[in-house]
Amino acid sequence: MADLDWDFAFDVDHLDEETSRQPKRAPKTSRSRSKSVAPAQDRDGDVEIQDDFDIGAERDDGGGRGFNLGILGEEVDDGGEESLVQELFRHWLNERHSPDILPINEVLLAGLLDRIRKQTSDVQLLRSDPNSSEDEHFRIMLVQTEVERLKFVIRSYMRTRLFKVEKYAQFITSHPEVHDKLSKAELEHAQRYTQTLEAHFTNSVLQSLPPEQQSLNEDMVFMPPMIPEPDKNRPVFAHARRNCPPVRLPDGSMIEMEKGQISLLSYSVIEQMLLRGEVELV
Amino acid sequence: MNDNVRQYGELATQLLIESRRSTATDTLLKYNDVLVRQIIREQRQLESLIQSSLEVSQNAMDGDNTMTPTILLYQTAILRNKRCLLAYHHHRIERLKDLYWSVGGALPLLLATHTNPAANVSSASSSGDIRSKLSPHEVDFLRSYNDSLLEFRSGVAAPEEVDLFAPILRPPKDLHVLVRVVRDCGVIQTEVGAIDFKRGQRFLVRRGDVEHLIVQGYLEEV
Repeated sequence: MADLDWDFAFDVDHLDEETSRQPKRAPKTSRSRSKSVAPAQDRDGDVEIQDDFDIGAERDDGGGRGFNLGILGEEVDDGGEESLVQELFRHWLNERHSPDILPINEVLLAGLLDRIRKQTSDVQLLRSDPNSSEDEHFRIMLVQTEVERLKFVIRSYMRTRLFKVEKYAQFITSHPEVHDKLSKAELEHAQRYTQTLEAHFTNSVLQSLPPEQQSLNEDMVFMPPMIPEPDKNRPVFAHARRNCPPVRLPDGSMIEMEKGQISLLSYSVIEQMLLRGEVELV
Repeated sequence: MNDNVRQYGELATQLLIESRRSTATDTLLKYNDVLVRQIIREQRQLESLIQSSLEVSQNAMDGDNTMTPTILLYQTAILRNKRCLLAYHHHRIERLKDLYWSVGGALPLLLATHTNPAANVSSASSSGDIRSKLSPHEVDFLRSYNDSLLEFRSGVAAPEEVDLFAPILRPPKDLHVLVRVVRDCGVIQTEVGAIDFKRGQRFLVRRGDVEHLIVQGYLEEV
């Protein structure tokens, strides 16, 4: 523990912006700190650690030494493309704000997990190197903290999805067209959950009732359905990421969102634009 | 006694009130087996009433549908009771799931009977006697829910990278956390080696290593 210099007590408050609910701020913070740890193979096979961590203003633009691990995706976000992390934040916030379950992005998750794994092993390598200076340890700690925070977002993303999967489990199981949105594990969990829940209802209530009343799927007039479905009419705040094609509102009028515009709309109106990535939920 | 003056559906209303009280006070109430059975009895009674009314209307002459409103009344009562029963059970399931997640998915801890009241005073006192409040079916439900989640977790790309059961309330700010040991939890492997956590001691440890112990109430953040 002693060699970890945890009591540097640096101000990590700005990190919080990453997880704040305003995704537009995230790119700023992710640009402000970059780091790269480059374990390079020596000719004689020894692993030699070079590091060109750079924090804030001391940034090295050339990046000639080693390669930029850039878990924050520094190397890609300059050309207007969004980095993996920004993409994750967008998916995460969309998922948290949307009433319906959104298609999962497994490629993105796998990419991020790969980077986390790599970053972690590089950190291990650096930490086990007795020659690394106090300064390096401080940087290692920044990297580790960042990895932890990234894991937090991924976890929150998965848990949000899990919550919806369970809430709409019966709906999902009975509607095959929804299955594509889920990962294999999620779909299986939904099916198991449906079974478990129905078994519980059967054991505790339904089996004791007269046979005429045992069904769980009743379509009665004047009564809301017993199986919860996503409420696609819920209002959501949509932020246009680029100029959007006009869409028709439920009352028949048209709306055309310009880039940067934020509107409060029914989810069903912007559903397609959300799937195409033209808007994000905030 | 007042069985004679009771309206259909009155018992079910009591059941719903219980659910609402549970939400309002944020507690898990004991499973109300007696009331549930009473309602189920009422359902059977209503069903037989419907059947006899149907017979009467079938035996009556065509066009004589004086029984229809009666049947409709019974039918409505049946549907309402059934819905209330299901709502009650579903509400409890949701509460149980909340509890399950609040201890980080540690089912044995949740179901542990209150064997040693002196040892687990603080956070465990609320969870210690949960078992007695559950119906056997609810225990079964929690078990299969737990199994399903464990299977889900192993199906996810990186179980060791992202611990699904860790709390998601606050993002981590520091890598390390100062903890006080509330209950002995034996030797735990951390990144700096094994630590034997004894009650009353304080440690500065990597948050990721002990997160689950904090959630389960063994350690306390200082």
